[in-house]
Amino acid sequence: MAVTSPPGSATLSPAPLAGSATRWSSFRRRLTIWISGSVVALLVITCYLGPFVLPIPSPVGGNVLDSGLSPGSPGHPLGTDVNGNDVLSRLIHGGRSSLTVGVVVNIIGLAIGGTVGAISAYLGGRADSIIMRALDVLIAFPSLVLVIVLAQILGPSLPNTILALSAFSIPAVARISRAATLKVMSMPYLQAAELSGSPWWRILSRHVVPNIVPQLTTFAMLGMAIVVVTEGALSFLGLGIPPPRPSWGNMIFEAQQSMSATPLLVLWPSIALLVTVLSFNLLGESIRDEVTGR
Amino acid sequence: MSGATTTPAAEKRTRVTENGPAGEQPEGLRARLAGSPVLRLVGRRLMIVIPLLFVVSALVFLLMEALPGDPAQIRAGMDASEEEVEAVRQQMGLDRPGHERYLSWLGGALTGDLGSSVVSGRAVTTLLGERLPVTLQMAGMAFVLSIVISLPLALAAARRPGGLVDRFVMVCSMTLLAVPNFVMALLLVLVFAVGLGMLPAIGFVPLAEGVWPNMRSMILPVLSLAVPMACFYARFLRGDLVEQLNAAAYIDTARSKGTGPWRILWLHAFRNSSFGLLTLVGLNIGALVGGTVIIERIFAMPGMGTLMLEGVMSSDVAVVQTCVFIFAAAAVFANLLVDVMYAVLDPRVRYGSH
Repeated sequence: MAVTSPPGSATLSPAPLAGSATRWSSFRRRLTIWISGSVVALLVITCYLGPFVLPIPSPVGGNVLDSGLSPGSPGHPLGTDVNGNDVLSRLIHGGRSSLTVGVVVNIIGLAIGGTVGAISAYLGGRADSIIMRALDVLIAFPSLVLVIVLAQILGPSLPNTILALSAFSIPAVARISRAATLKVMSMPYLQAAELSGSPWWRILSRHVVPNIVPQLTTFAMLGMAIVVVTEGALSFLGLGIPPPRPSWGNMIFEAQQSMSATPLLVLWPSIALLVTVLSFNLLGESIRDEVTGR
Repeated sequence: MSGATTTPAAEKRTRVTENGPAGEQPEGLRARLAGSPVLRLVGRRLMIVIPLLFVVSALVFLLMEALPGDPAQIRAGMDASEEEVEAVRQQMGLDRPGHERYLSWLGGALTGDLGSSVVSGRAVTTLLGERLPVTLQMAGMAFVLSIVISLPLALAAARRPGGLVDRFVMVCSMTLLAVPNFVMALLLVLVFAVGLGMLPAIGFVPLAEGVWPNMRSMILPVLSLAVPMACFYARFLRGDLVEQLNAAAYIDTARSKGTGPWRILWLHAFRNSSFGLLTLVGLNIGALVGGTVIIERIFAMPGMGTLMLEGVMSSDVAVVQTCVFIFAAAAVFANLLVDVMYAVLDPRVRYGSH
């Protein structure tokens, strides 16, 4: 893709300014990748290393006598919630749950969905249409509705939340992987490989997979944002990560009940969600534009 | 799933154009109907959609089997003896094998009997009659509003790509897109209900009690659904429009004729971009339906979403089964409608020629 239409093909552009404009926009895109990538990295480091490095109290088992402390209280930079637990600590541990769920669900989606899609496209014919019809059934369900029902069947827990969310990640990735594989299969180098007698597994692993991985990983960035939001929604409904274990979703739900008295408790996890989703979206979109050379 | 949307669009475009001319000249109304490419397309899609719905209903049934909680126990009451529960089980027909129960449910569903709630004992059809209008009104208003917001924004942004308006629209929509609808709902409640006290925080007022009170109770839920969707559509449409403007030969033709920039945007670029938008909107119906579940919960709206959630929590199998099936069917039919709209809007299909 990037080879056929480089972003800086200024000679073909109608306006004389286009060259510098394109360079400026590609610089801005790189900058966006760096900034959003740094935010993501910062989030990951804070959530996974923070609890060991930062002097923050435990996210659970707070004293009710300490409940509802305002931000800036000694030892509680963001205050405490209704149960007397430190809000900052819960935010960090909640982010850990969200990111873990997001990463694992996307890995499962990429591994299973990616393989199914690629194989389906490679086999073609009847096998392909059977696999795609089966995926159509799963895709027919509005994702949140399917996830809610699955979560209730499996029972609320972190591993079950991951399982339930994978149910909509796998078919989505499979579709993209199939479309990407079909595109690769029309390429001359693939016909060359087939003509030279490479076995099917070699063609898949050496020619197809390396060429669809960039597109799939880009999608996984956007997928992270979707999974983090859906996990939040699920936990908000009480079907995701069960309290007292913190998650941004269940923090928002708890805070909602005393929203008029302590609106800040709703805002903190909301801001955390917003920053996470925004940086994954920005990262995914700008990498995609970079890869496709738009 | 924003990334997933472009490929089916391309797929569909080619699929639609495949419906070439039938070859022979149709005679009479029947022949003309049979020869109509749009109707043939509808027929072909229905051949896929109807079996799909049967499979979906079977899958929903299987899922319900796995739902925790024993319906007979719930109906009989928690303090009922084992014999009483067993009697209720027989009376409800739950002792029969799964496929038999599925077929009898299917038979009932096709004749308008969806069973009754194990919790309240009321017929599911009655419950639907109360709940469906609320959700339909909310989802419909959110749908229309999201289109009404996104179209002008996208057109204004695409007028000068990289310009001030474009950057403003893109930054705002990117930020708002990152606000999940349930967070949006709470923030709106914080500002307009708790802070300013202008609108009710929760509750639903039926249309029968006056248009304005009904609208007041709808404003916040509809906004929380529509704003993220509008951002999504506006970003997509703006991107597609800019691509058309930069690459399409017919735009150059229009420019060289001296057509004004707005006219080009609206009459030329948008007409072509509307196909991509249509696909996106169709695929997004599922997200809209999922959104109504959580939004209804926050605003305590007595709609389908609340009905389903209550059902899920209390293992009310008949209710959940119907709700989940209706949600899935809504998404399937929305996509069918999109396919048909393609055929109707695309002159190549409408006139049965390439």
